Amino acid sequence: MMGRATFRGLLAVGFSALLTCAASAADLTIAMPNWASGQASANILKVGIKQALGLDADVVEMGTLIAFNGLDTGKVDVHPEVWLPNLNNLVDRYVKGSGTVTLSPVSVPAWQGICANRTAADKIGIKDIADLSDPKKTVALDTNGDGKGELWIGAETWSSTAIERVRANSYGYAKNLDLLEMPEDVGMAAVDAAEAVEKPIVFACYAPSAVFKLHQIVRLTEPPYDPAKWKIVLPSEDPAWLAKSSADVGWDAASYRIAYASSLKQRHPDVVRFLEHVDFTPDEAIDMSYALQVERKEPLAYAEQWVKDHADRVKGWAKQ
Amino acid sequence: MTDRRKLLKTGALLFGVSLLAALPAVAQTQVYDPKTRKWGNYDKTEAYKYWRKNKQVPPAFRRQVVRFRTAEQPGTIIIDGNQHFLYLVQPNQTAIRYGIGVGREGFGWAGIVRVGRVAEWPTWTPPAEMVARDPKAAKWAGGQPGGPDNPLGARALYLYEGDHDTIYRIHGTPEPWTMGLNVSSGCIRMVNDDIIDLHSRIQVGAKVIVLMQGAALYKGV
Repeated sequence: MMGRATFRGLLAVGFSALLTCAASAADLTIAMPNWASGQASANILKVGIKQALGLDADVVEMGTLIAFNGLDTGKVDVHPEVWLPNLNNLVDRYVKGSGTVTLSPVSVPAWQGICANRTAADKIGIKDIADLSDPKKTVALDTNGDGKGELWIGAETWSSTAIERVRANSYGYAKNLDLLEMPEDVGMAAVDAAEAVEKPIVFACYAPSAVFKLHQIVRLTEPPYDPAKWKIVLPSEDPAWLAKSSADVGWDAASYRIAYASSLKQRHPDVVRFLEHVDFTPDEAIDMSYALQVERKEPLAYAEQWVKDHADRVKGWAKQ
Repeated sequence: MTDRRKLLKTGALLFGVSLLAALPAVAQTQVYDPKTRKWGNYDKTEAYKYWRKNKQVPPAFRRQVVRFRTAEQPGTIIIDGNQHFLYLVQPNQTAIRYGIGVGREGFGWAGIVRVGRVAEWPTWTPPAEMVARDPKAAKWAGGQPGGPDNPLGARALYLYEGDHDTIYRIHGTPEPWTMGLNVSSGCIRMVNDDIIDLHSRIQVGAKVIVLMQGAALYKGV
């Protein structure tokens, strides 16, 4: 046992030295994703663990697959945001399968669907997904004079974009709306520009996301998710994916959780207790995204302030 | 004075030519009146009449600081071809908004590019097909030197994707009344004073986001 622990310790040192060129050996390695709320929460965990437990943690940016590999081998101790059901395949492999990774029981609810700005909702009356099938309403979303509105459904690289195309066909609004695929920055800048002149806009969106704090955004209501009505074949699976797919219901509820290396239960039960009590809310995640993306706060400085502002709560995570 | 008359005459000629060209159906430009908070139609006739009378473009297309909430950082350019506005993002959730003229068929493309290089009073070299069909352009087949009659106007910002020139530019114009209209050949034109102002404020490398205008009209860059 001792030998394995030492070996793992050596590996961890080697790994962090490689990635950060840091001379010091931290007690823990926290993976940091490339999105804003994940960058904030990774650093909040670092600062919170230092303050509550006195342990040093390195925050290292890495992709989700590498992070899971690190959690499996013990090179990485914590991942702050594991999205479900998006990463169900990794959860099946490492959490349910090998058991080398554990998910915190606390989850942050997430959401995706179609959003409208207040002008579209209040002046045009687009409040429910069914309103998108009314050409008299969607003509207000026209930006090129062809009488059909436009709807940004996501970036070309996202699997959700293909699913939004399926949903547009199944609900029927693909007939009276041109579906646009563009990088997220273009989609979001279009929302900024519509807001600047109070023009209506409707777009694919997800929460938590900074857009909800940047603008007044309305989520369109939809029939709830029904697995019997959710038949999705992805483009990577079949060239005839669009014809073979149908989904005229809302997305399944999503959520995310902290994941940690199961070996932490022996090495640092205090850290496990801490991680299993971290309870970020969706509104806090929106604030984190906004602070980093819009206010351009530096993640570590933001985390230090956050921990200071929530000192009792952070202490509580360690004590319960 | 002579120069200005010459400029106006040249402008009127160019204006006439573009009126003759058969135009595909594009979005009717609308102008927002901040007093009535209503949108009114704005076409070439209106634009030229307004310019002749006021010697400037309507208030909506004049340079102004506006509230603009965005996650993009200051220094980023956002182009809304449909509204005929170019925003230069500024600190504190504001932007400088400029009126622009865009391509005959709306904008024609959308995406994220950057300012690859800039030029003052740039030389204009007409594309080969324009040289072939237009004797006036043929005269400048080797390049028209910069100056008040040059179609690129006082400054040009050359838009690049990575290290590759997209052939699109943000530039000035000798036809300042065309702000708010769809008349150019795919580029973004601004009043010379405005392109000089924009040029003085941006860095080479600045991010430029061109918004979508409908699937029928855009090609990803």
